[in-house]
This record gives sequence, structure tokens and C-alpha cells, in this order.
Amino acid sequence: MNAPIIDPLQGDFPEVIEEYLEHGVMKCIAFNRRGTLLAAGCSDGSCVIWDFETRGIAKVLRDKECVAAITSVCWSKYGHRILVSAADKSLTLWDVLKGEKITRIVLQQTPLQARLHPGSSTPSLCLACPLSSAPMIVDLSTGSTSILPIAVPDVANGIAPSSRNKYSDGTPPFTPTAACFNKYGDLVYVGNSKGEILVIDHKSNQIRALVPVSGAAVIKNIVFSRNGQYLLTNSNDRTIRIYDNLLPLKNGLEALVDIEKGIAEPNGIEKMKMVGSKCLALFREFQDSITKMHWKAPCFSGDGEWVIAGSASKGEHKIYIWDRAGYLVKILEGPKEALIDLAWHPVHPIIVSVSLTGWVYIWAKDYTENWSAFAPDFKELEENEEYVEREDEFDLNTETEKVKESNINEDEEVDIVAVDKDAFSDSDMSQEELCFLPAIPCPDVPERQGKCVGSSSKLMDRNHSGSPLSEEAMQNGQAANHASSPLEVKVCLCDS
Amino acid sequence: MSSDQSLESFRPYTLTQTLNGHLRAISSVKFSHDGRLLASSSADKTLLTYSLSSISNSDSTPPSPLQKFTGHEQGVSDLVFSSDSRFLVSASDDKTIRLWDVPTATCLKTLIGHTNYVFCVNFNPQSNMIVSGAFDETVRIWDVKTGKCLKVLPAHSDPVTAVDFNRDGTMIVTSSYDGLCRIWDASTGHCMKTLIDDENPPVSFVKFSPNGKFILVGTLDNTLRLWNYSTGKILKTYTGHTNSKYCISSTFSVTNGKYIVSGSEDSCVYLWELQSRKVVQKLEGHTDPVISVASHPTENIIASGALDNDRTVKIWTQEKE
Repeated sequence: MNAPIIDPLQGDFPEVIEEYLEHGVMKCIAFNRRGTLLAAGCSDGSCVIWDFETRGIAKVLRDKECVAAITSVCWSKYGHRILVSAADKSLTLWDVLKGEKITRIVLQQTPLQARLHPGSSTPSLCLACPLSSAPMIVDLSTGSTSILPIAVPDVANGIAPSSRNKYSDGTPPFTPTAACFNKYGDLVYVGNSKGEILVIDHKSNQIRALVPVSGAAVIKNIVFSRNGQYLLTNSNDRTIRIYDNLLPLKNGLEALVDIEKGIAEPNGIEKMKMVGSKCLALFREFQDSITKMHWKAPCFSGDGEWVIAGSASKGEHKIYIWDRAGYLVKILEGPKEALIDLAWHPVHPIIVSVSLTGWVYIWAKDYTENWSAFAPDFKELEENEEYVEREDEFDLNTETEKVKESNINEDEEVDIVAVDKDAFSDSDMSQEELCFLPAIPCPDVPERQGKCVGSSSKLMDRNHSGSPLSEEAMQNGQAANHASSPLEVKVCLCDS
Repeated sequence: MSSDQSLESFRPYTLTQTLNGHLRAISSVKFSHDGRLLASSSADKTLLTYSLSSISNSDSTPPSPLQKFTGHEQGVSDLVFSSDSRFLVSASDDKTIRLWDVPTATCLKTLIGHTNYVFCVNFNPQSNMIVSGAFDETVRIWDVKTGKCLKVLPAHSDPVTAVDFNRDGTMIVTSSYDGLCRIWDASTGHCMKTLIDDENPPVSFVKFSPNGKFILVGTLDNTLRLWNYSTGKILKTYTGHTNSKYCISSTFSVTNGKYIVSGSEDSCVYLWELQSRKVVQKLEGHTDPVISVASHPTENIIASGALDNDRTVKIWTQEKE
């Protein structure tokens, strides 16, 4: 494609706030697979989809039945569906292109996080982590739920893990338990309040492996990197831990079964720990030993090379960036508002953070103009260089040859049609990906058309309002309207 | 297959229709992406659309246009369809860009911002952004939905003659009378590369190849060149036509073999075979410089438009076997 000029998976990290997005009070965000659309759940129950390239609103998903704050938002693999969980205990599945609700399910508790099964483009399963009970798998087509086991049962008690709608160890848990799917969704990784990572086969509802986390502190977040090779946990002991995923990305369950067969131990906790040691290997631990900060919303960068987390302290908006080897490379400081959600763009070195006020800040690299791009024979120097002239620098050249011309072999075949596979194409892509929503232009209001500022993203203003138009422009014959106050125009009711 | 064989097997294009709906010189002709419409812009301040069915039959009476788009206060220099063929955007000497709804021919939006004649315009493949180049030496990127100018690129030091997006909308190429072609990152607006040769004649036209790897550059020294912009090397050179005054557009024809099609100031349309660079046909019929050519996305049809002495759009079809 264009690999030589623009690196498709750009390295490096952002440094400054480039822009902020405003639409109501946003609570949680999620990028689609390519980072062309950003979905944001709001406190009024609606979900806004931003076109990230134009920084304008592409669509608003609003349902009369849901007016409670959105707690999480999740895209399906190729961007056709969005799942939102809300504070009124509901899960709503949307068709993105049509902007229509597909189904709505009400659970017994408010789900704090809901994740669609990542393996298919129209998933029917999702993983929901409720406020104060064990995570569950919800079948979106039937509404049935199956609660996942969050602790290995005591063998001495002889209680086998039960399945449908019963807590596995009999006692109601009191802290939210974190859970996530692996890359293809055949396994669920749960981080429980005893500080253990459980690898669960959600189809049979069985714990297959156990990885104890040193310190045994309650695990608050558990997240995979986009390529599925790294896992991070955020624990109550203020430490973020990075693990290497030792299982193969596809058919992880089969590999687990093979590992189990290879261990000659009777089934039980010890066997699970041995299997666990072959699933995950601790790579690094991050903590801030000076301020002993609690972390919030940790995640990986798109390529898995960087880890970011927000400070959970109220009243400050700090984002810590580490490289995977553990070095703290940057602390981004924003305005004095608590941070509630964080996401790294899948492709670009851009971070998006949500503050308590409901605004979404976009952090990007501080760009210094690359002058050699404007003039190829211009070389940028770090410091003064002494210039030494060539022997023949000022000679009058009688033979000004242009050797270059004869060297071009113009007979070589040129292929102008074949396209390279880009960095995103998976071999199992059966359906086309939804990368953008069609842009329908909002018709101008006649008169003062130069001031029609539809979207509510604030830019360093480059708008050059030119001369007003003549009568020829007023084709509809409508009376001249005002339409210049930004608030008014923000309600641009042209989502299809 | 040797190039002689392919020349022999080349079936020539013949003139099948002449459209004389415009009152002044034609500036640009374009086919829609779904192939059902042809649009033309003119110095007479209007745009016209024709349906493909009406222009592909070889009736003796010229077909009448489907729609006429009026609203610009000065002549129109360029026009282009959106990817879903629902919208048209046009660039005019009245310093504005207008966004039109195709079925109803109504002007939906007027984009104001340029401070001099807007010369060239293009949609990105997602059709949520418009890029435009003007005589004020800048290139502007606009949001289709709101009409807001998203970025102003300090692109050149002379009028900008052509702008184009690549096939995934990540890069923009611009050309200018200052002799340079520049490649820009569409999402950030930063300059990625400048293509420079030993001599820098004014560049009258530039366009990405269908796969986005190469650019076709027309310069006012009667030459068309195919560049690989990543390496900065010229791969092919096409000559034989005349182009030293006007910004004549050219295009790729890939429906039946790979060709380069271009207008010329000797009133002909030239076709070169892409690989061998030989002129396979000269289409004669216009009576003034042919300023714009377009090739149909699926059929073997070429449309061409010429300047004031001629004022017609001619349709050329390849003979059926």
C-alpha cells in the first residue's frame, strides 16, 4: 500500500491535547477496529458515534426505553454492531449502519462492562460483568445467562461447580470481578478478588487453568492487547502486571486440553496451577513507587508496544505511558478533572481520554514540520556543520551531462491495478468491514452560510468566513435565518 | 505477447455521440462510480448530467441532459461525483465549492473559504471529506456533513492545478504551476513528500493510479509521466500530444487492457498503451483543445470535452467484436 511513506502501524506516543469533543456528558468510549469511528456512551442513555477523521458526529443511537447512563460500549469485530450496557441493568445491541436497535435485555444487576464475542461479525454471545456478582455469558438472541465460576471450588467440600444461575461457591461475592475474552473468544480470562487469573472455557463453564498473581490482591481490570499476545491485570495493590500469552491465538482451548492431558496429576487446584503456568508468563510489573497511585482504565497501544493507565486519584487527569519493557516514558497531564476512561487509537499514536465533565480529549503527537518533505534536497541539521567545498565546486562545467536520463529503463512492466493486502486484513474475513458511515451533508440554511458550524468539536479555528452569498443562493426562497450560535446548530438533525 | 501483437488486436474507439448542451467551453467531464451518469462542467456557470443509456445509443439526435445545475456565479472549473453517486461537488471561479444533490439538482451546501478561483476538487473514497485546490495556492480539506473547513494546507507557491485522494483515503497528492507534486497525509495534513525532477515545468495535472501506488503527472512540456512516488522514480513517459498551455486532464483506462487517455491542444484525444508507451489511437473530431477526458468504470467508453470554439462533449465507444 503506502508503507514506504506512512507507516501503517505508527510507533511513538502522543504528547499534547490536540482537540476535544463535546456532546452531552460522555462516560465511556471505544474505537472500532481501524480507528475510523469512535463510539461514546453518554449519561442520558444515548450512544454517539464520532467520525474520527472529520471529528464530527456521524450518528446518534438513542432509544426511548433507555435513559440511564451508559456504563460501557463495545464494537463487534467488523464494526457492524455495538453493544451498550447501562445503569438501568440493560444491555442493548444496535445495528450501526441502520441505527436501529436489534435487541434489549434486562439483567438482574447493572453490568459495569459488557463485551461482545470477538470471534464473529454478528455475535450472539456477550460477556457481562455486573456490579457485584460474578461475570456471566449472555446469549443475546435468547436472553439466557450463564454465570461463570469465579473461584475454584474446594475439593474437600465436594461441591462441583454448578452452571445455571447459581453462585459456584455459595457465597455472594462483594467486589466486581473483571473478565475479558481472548482474541478469538474461545476462552474467558477472569481476574477474581483472591488475586487469581482463571482461564475458563465458557461453553462448558469449566475453569481450565489458574494463575495466581503475586500479592493476591483483588484484580480490578484484565485486558488483552489487540494482537492477543499480551495480557495485563490491574490490581488493588496498585500494580499493573503484564503477562505473555503462551497459548496459540487460535484454538487456544484445544491447546489447553492438550496441556492438561500432558500433566500426570489428578484434577484439582494443583493441576490447574500447572496448566496455568503454561498459559501465562509474568513479564513485567508497573507501579508508581513514589506516589503509590491506584490505576484506572489501563490498556495497550494498538501494536501492543506501549501500556497506558490513568491515575485514579480524583481531581487530576494524568495518563502514564510505559513501554512494554517497563520504562515510564511519559506522563500526560490534562486539566484538573478526574479521568474516567481511556483508549489508544488502533493505528495512530493518538490517545483518547474521557474526563468527569463528560468531555473527550484527544491527545496526539506535537508535530514539528518536517522540512525535508517540502524540499527533498533540504537537509535538517541538529547543529552547525562546517561546510567543506569540493575541488571542482566552482569550476565552469563545459560538459553538463545529465546522466540520469539514459539510465531509466522504461520498458519494465508496471502494475497499476493490483492492491497490496493492508495491515488489517485477516485471513478469515468473510464479511466486509464497516469502516465509515455515509456522510449526508446537512443542507445549508440560506443566508450566513459561512457560519454554519454543525459539529461540536473545537478546532484551532481556521474557518475563514468569506463574503455572504448573493440572492442566487437562496433557491428555496426561505426567509433569511440566523443559525449562527454554535449551540443551536449543534442539534443538526440530519442523522439518517 | 509482443507489443506489436497487442497493437494489432486493439479495437479502435469511434465517435458515437456529440453533446452540445453547454453554451461555453467545457472544463471537466466525469462518469459516476456506478457508471450510470456522465456529468460535465463549463465556463457557462452550469453543470449538466446525462444518463448513460441516453448517450450510449448512436442516435443522430443528440440526447438532452437529465439535469441542469445552476447556482454558481462564475464559470466552473471542476466537478466530481461522490462514491455512492448521490452527490456532486463543483469548484468555481466565484471562489466557492458547491455540493449538489444529484437526483434533484439542488445545491445542498456552499463551501466558502478560498480567497481565489477554486480550480480542482475531489472526494475521498469514504466521501466524508472533500479536498480542493485553488489559485490562492492553498489546498483545503472540508467536512461533507457540516461544510466546515477542517484543514488548510500551505501546499504550493503557485496556483494548485490538481488534487486527488488515493484509494483508501489516507493520502492526498497535489500539483501546481510551481513545478512540484506533493504527497500529504490526509488525517494530519502534514506533507509527506515532494517530487522533484531536474527540470520542473509547471504541473498541470496529477492523479493516483487505481491501486494508489503510482501517480500520473501531466506537465506543460507536452509530457505525461508515471511516477512511483515512494521511490521518487519516473517509470514511464508518454509523449506525442501537445500540452503547453492548458491544464488538460488525463486518466487510466482499465476496462479492456491498460491504457492512458489524455486530451491534447491539437484537438485530439490520445490513447497510449500503458506498458509500451506507444500511441495506439488519436481520436479526432473536436475543433478546439480537448481539456478533459473520462473513462467509464466498466464499459469501454471515453468521454471528452473541449474549449470554447467547440463546446461539445463527445462520447467515443470501442467497436464491439
